[in-house]
Amino acid sequence: MKRVLSKYWVQTLLTVVICVLAGLAYARGGWSDVLAGFSSGFAILGRESLLLVAAFLTAGLLQALVKKDLITRWLGRESGLKGILLACLGGGLIPGGPYAYYPIAGALLSSGAGLGVLVAFVSAKNLWSISRLPYEFAILGGTITVRRYLVTFLIPPLLGMLVEWLFGSHLAAIRKGVQE
Amino acid sequence: MAVWVPPCSYPEGGPRVSSATLILWCIAIILLIFSWRSGTETLKRGLELAWKTTRANALLILLAFIIVGFVNVLSPEELVTAWIGPNSGWRGIAASEFLGMFLPGGPYVVFPIIDILYQAGAGLAPVITLITSWSTQSLLTISFELPFMGWRFTAIRWGVGLAIPILTGAAALLIWG
Repeated sequence: MKRVLSKYWVQTLLTVVICVLAGLAYARGGWSDVLAGFSSGFAILGRESLLLVAAFLTAGLLQALVKKDLITRWLGRESGLKGILLACLGGGLIPGGPYAYYPIAGALLSSGAGLGVLVAFVSAKNLWSISRLPYEFAILGGTITVRRYLVTFLIPPLLGMLVEWLFGSHLAAIRKGVQE
Repeated sequence: MAVWVPPCSYPEGGPRVSSATLILWCIAIILLIFSWRSGTETLKRGLELAWKTTRANALLILLAFIIVGFVNVLSPEELVTAWIGPNSGWRGIAASEFLGMFLPGGPYVVFPIIDILYQAGAGLAPVITLITSWSTQSLLTISFELPFMGWRFTAIRWGVGLAIPILTGAAALLIWG
């Protein structure tokens, strides 16, 4: 039970949220509101099915086309501002969830990348992500997406430089901590 | 352009073909051609990755859309407007940063939830704060970050990053009101 919970904890959390919402719906309008919640969810999923298929197809093909070792080479070699900017570019281009980019960031850490480079890489992945753009644009629309990209555009390189300046000297301790 | 709207405004029928659907399918077809040209191996791998991602996330998507359905039926417009509405100002930005940390899952799970909040009356600055907070401060992501980067890196990145969603929300508030 514990193993199942730790493996599927996001699913568990979402199920708990559904139960809470279903409880609220029941309190408001009885079983008919609970049923309405489920049928509304399935209806929206059905409506968006074509969009989801295209989004998953795009994400999968991007992952196959963008070679991971190429990005690793760009990021590992460089240092300083150039390295941070390259890290931002790599982070923005690399597709996949945290299960995909943290192993790469970890490999970069042990192979000699700087702290600022790594923070810039992770932040650009989180804020510039090209592979996430289709979902954001499709679901939230152009206005929100464009404005969100505009206000967060400078953050990855600035955060990388700030962290390098403040904590750059802690790199050896960070690396040692991961290897232990 | 708000592509995604609550189902009450949908006509009955099959899947919807919006402009976003068309654009995404164009991109997917272009990528299909590129993959095909760079060898059947790349094409096969791309399709396999797409299928793998879909399969791995199918249950999550289903659960997320059920949540979206319930939020839609419960339509907490008053609650959303009070907390993160267009006039919620700084409190709305702070509430969004906190909420963003707890949003679980990938973009196809989180964006529909954020969109239904926007449809229910959330303001632009809180929505931008919410997306940014979920992107950089997500507590779910930390469970992947810790094993690969260690607690020192995680503490530094997450700690310094705490200011980012509030700053982006403030910038959005100042620029677009």
